Amino acid sequence: MRLRIGAIAAALIVIPASAVSAADLDQLLDESREASYTAEQVITCSTPDGVRSGVVEIEQSGGSLHLSGEVEVVSGNGGWESVQGDSVVTSASVKAAETHIDPVYTVDDGSAHPFLDRKAGLYRLYVGDVLRGELIVDGGTGAMLSVVTYNEDGTVYCERRFIEFDPTPPVPSQSSLSGTGAIEPTDSVSTLPENLGDFQRLDIYQDDEGLVFAYYSDGFFSFAVFETPVVVTLEGATTVTFDRGAYVRSFTPGQAIYVWQTGAGGMAMIGDLPPDMHEAVLAALPAPSEPGLLQRLWRSLFG
Amino acid sequence: MTHPGELISAYLDGELSRSEIDQLFGHLAGCGRCAVEMQELQAVRSAVRSLPLLELPLGLVPEADAEVVPLHRNRGFLVGAAAAIVAVVIAVAAMVTPSTAAISVEELNSRYGARASLDPAFGPAKVILPQLMDTLE
Repeated sequence: MRLRIGAIAAALIVIPASAVSAADLDQLLDESREASYTAEQVITCSTPDGVRSGVVEIEQSGGSLHLSGEVEVVSGNGGWESVQGDSVVTSASVKAAETHIDPVYTVDDGSAHPFLDRKAGLYRLYVGDVLRGELIVDGGTGAMLSVVTYNEDGTVYCERRFIEFDPTPPVPSQSSLSGTGAIEPTDSVSTLPENLGDFQRLDIYQDDEGLVFAYYSDGFFSFAVFETPVVVTLEGATTVTFDRGAYVRSFTPGQAIYVWQTGAGGMAMIGDLPPDMHEAVLAALPAPSEPGLLQRLWRSLFG
Repeated sequence: MTHPGELISAYLDGELSRSEIDQLFGHLAGCGRCAVEMQELQAVRSAVRSLPLLELPLGLVPEADAEVVPLHRNRGFLVGAAAAIVAVVIAVAAMVTPSTAAISVEELNSRYGARASLDPAFGPAKVILPQLMDTLE
């Protein structure tokens, strides 16, 4: 794999991008994961609930990211940890099953597209004829200097653009991320569907508290669906009504979060997929419903 | 007519026939002592009936236990009714009080973030920064 990545990186540097045959999305993504750099990124997302934007400092090395904003986040290799001050706010660790995603996207021939005074290539992602993404890939490191994602109607959903980029590998993170206590994928039967449109269910997890969650991807966008026996709380959210009922929704820069109640408990969907995909995904999941009298009583008394 | 003490008691108990009542009152009209006795007996009976009822401890008077049964039945009904009322109050209070059992989106975010970090498309775009939000409506 590294030889192949190296060959592609060399091709991006030496061969004019327009001469490269149709790019392989997986290879572009692999290169980006392996890149080591320090950068500052601006994120701007035009969501149905308003614009969400932010600036974040990034250090990436060894497949792990360290992001500094108001809250520091360290993520990579199956771990995630948010830190505020000297305290770990939340953390999680998971393992993944070996899965293969059927390709959904086609990527056009890269074209030269200098960015931040660096040699870079521009690649467009399509589903059929619909443009879904534009990637500007650094010719030297493979890092994605800019990622623009589109709604189905051609409007921009999110733009993530580096405004500073230093290809010098950062000092390795002192992250406490470890694989200890990682949740393993389960083979248990779940009501969560194996396919949601173009999205494939890659892994499903269940913890001791009865929380079940499944991870879906179409090869570029991804989301997780959570089923819990208790209610999911989401602050600062708005209520949105689709054909199947009312959902509580919130957007962060780059992520959409939906929360709703079902007769069995609570559900949530979190992911980076564009808003035009949301309703179709939610429509294939258990619909919102108010719990029955006995369920409310049971939950109130016993949680 | 001899002193009608038993007739007076029977009258006060409502046990005399019409003719016996006529005979008794015929006697009382001419016997002041018997009339006073009947008044005194009536007063005593009224005073006794006005006294509060006391419940005998079980077993104190074995013969009376059978008479206590109806009172126990009443008490059981009252206890049951009280328990039902308490249950209804608890149920209503439980339903109008928000459940404390809940999970926050931050906890779910961490799981999604951990799994997304294993995604081939993992990168800055996949990392959730819940506090990094600047809303421009």
